[in-house]
Amino acid sequence: MGHFSFYLSTIVVYFGIDLMAAWALNLQYGYAGVINFAFIVFQAAGAYVAGTVVLGPDTGTNSYQHYILGANLPFPVPLLAAALAGAVLSAVIGLFAVRRIRRDYQAAVMLIVSLILLQVVTSDIHLFNGANGITGIPHPLYTALGFSLSSYQWVYALWVLALCAVLYVIVERLGRSSWGRSLRAIRDQEDAAASLGLNGTLLRLEVFVIGGAIAGLSGGLLVEFIGAWSPGAWGYAETFVIFTALLVGGVGNNRGMLLGTLIVPILVLELPTFLPTIGYPGLIGAIQWIIIGLAWMLFLLLRPRGILPERRFRAPRPLADDTVRSAAARWVARVLTLGRPDMAPRGPRLGAAAGRAPVPDDVPVAGDPAVATARVRQAPSGADEG
Amino acid sequence: MNVLVQTLGFGIVSASIIAVGAMGFTIQFGLTNVLNLSYGATMTVAAFVAYLTEQAGINIWLGMVLGGVAGAVLTIFLGKTVFKLYARRGTRLFEMVMVTLGLGLVIEYSVDIVARDKIYSVSFPQGASFHLGAATLTASQLALVGVGIVIFLALEALLRLTRLGKALRAMAVDPGLARSCGIPTNRIVNATWLISGFLCGVAGVIYVINSLSVDYSTGLLFLPVVLAAAILGGVGSPRGALLASLLLGVVTELVAAAGFSSYSSVAAFGVLVVVLLSKPSGVLNAAARKVELTV
Repeated sequence: MGHFSFYLSTIVVYFGIDLMAAWALNLQYGYAGVINFAFIVFQAAGAYVAGTVVLGPDTGTNSYQHYILGANLPFPVPLLAAALAGAVLSAVIGLFAVRRIRRDYQAAVMLIVSLILLQVVTSDIHLFNGANGITGIPHPLYTALGFSLSSYQWVYALWVLALCAVLYVIVERLGRSSWGRSLRAIRDQEDAAASLGLNGTLLRLEVFVIGGAIAGLSGGLLVEFIGAWSPGAWGYAETFVIFTALLVGGVGNNRGMLLGTLIVPILVLELPTFLPTIGYPGLIGAIQWIIIGLAWMLFLLLRPRGILPERRFRAPRPLADDTVRSAAARWVARVLTLGRPDMAPRGPRLGAAAGRAPVPDDVPVAGDPAVATARVRQAPSGADEG
Repeated sequence: MNVLVQTLGFGIVSASIIAVGAMGFTIQFGLTNVLNLSYGATMTVAAFVAYLTEQAGINIWLGMVLGGVAGAVLTIFLGKTVFKLYARRGTRLFEMVMVTLGLGLVIEYSVDIVARDKIYSVSFPQGASFHLGAATLTASQLALVGVGIVIFLALEALLRLTRLGKALRAMAVDPGLARSCGIPTNRIVNATWLISGFLCGVAGVIYVINSLSVDYSTGLLFLPVVLAAAILGGVGSPRGALLASLLLGVVTELVAAAGFSSYSSVAAFGVLVVVLLSKPSGVLNAAARKVELTV
């Protein structure tokens, strides 16, 4: 049982961290359409920074690892540093990569970024100890809390899940805000959105940096849990795992990420460690990557919007007064729309002049790009931006 | 000064290695509009074919042709099955990139399974050293430069002097108009897959001749610089790809010679970034030019 508990707590931690990564990528790709094939790089940046700032200054005495940024920072600071590292790196890369270039070029450029940074960190041992990576990163507050390792694992799992809960609220709020609607508008019809005064490049850069910060944070949490980080952990294909989770779960749907993360990184990548090994070392890994690649291609072909597709924001149709005014009907409406005010049917505002079209107070109105977009998207999509 | 000349020599060798792949990539992308990230995986397959022919004791230059044929066969197969399937289902350009990346992953790890996750070393005699002024290059390096030049000239001749070349250029500009002028677009697309696949395969073999080892990720290590050269040179232009390869080859070797060998690929990428920032035509999200998949 002890082994099983240990294994389960590890899975829970990985699930939480992958979920954060999936939400971050969903902000970037699901909401804003930025194809960030370098996603794992930002997670790695967070991991390296969170690792080195607790390892102490690199005095050169321990000959087995060399690193930059060595320091002895107390518990929550390394995570903040990780988020900051992800954000700063995103800002630097975003400045040239999320400009208004064709999205297939953008994807290729991101892939190049990912491959080249991996090469650099691997071959320059003075940055983060090259191919061997950094090791010996202590668990945060491990001695202070005084738990046994298996209990500590569960404490850590709860800590990660608590952060996930906070992050869920944040990404959902961001997605529903006018900022989130603007993102969707530039994603779907950049020209139309620009004509309404939205700055696509700036919006993409903003979401890129926010997603990068979350990615960095998830990397920090990961390195504090596993205690080591090396180039083997962030090959370009790792980005793919998160992307596949996104595609399977549902592009643009934060709840879909729960499902996608459960299926892809956990079911396909983590659970098989339970199975007896077959063949030569590396065979299972290769088979897993092929499964992920095929799942990815099949979803793009058959269900490109995922199992739980993005819910569309609709301008609500006003119902007849008496239906909505009755408290029971309003309650039913709320239940049906899962408590999302932006989707609830609304009646005319009290005291609206008879004969005038009802104007709900806090729903998207005609000038709102999301509404414009929603209409344009109904039309046969001929003007795809590519 | 001598170091500079030697570096320039190495730069030209690097450039000819990059250029073959970049020329194949650029005509494929220019004509079909598929930004094919599985190109690297195809190079890996061809590299393994070359390895097998070397093991069988077959001449490496014949192995290069066989690698090219393998690349051509694989590429037209993928083009006629996978890419066509997705294009028919209305996959958009940026989704197609994602498809090709997934495809590359599948091919790459299939190769990994067949190769049993090992690195194979390849031994080619490097031949005598030649002194060209202050630069010293081996016979095989000179041969690679020769291959690069021959392929470039052959491709230019094909595009400028033949009916097929004319049709290719017409289709790259406007597929609809080309079809209405009676160009058999389907056959031209097939020709594109074959030519670009052949160049892709040859590029994989050339890379192995230079690096002397092959494993499942060979093509992937090579892909960034090939992509950078193709994008830098302007889509659909072999001449541009060649010039871009020269620039990237010389820059990477210069940076390596200056003692920053870990950063040589970053320098190449820096060149690409500068170009992206200075907005060349074609890279921009051109609203005026409607771009479609022609698969």
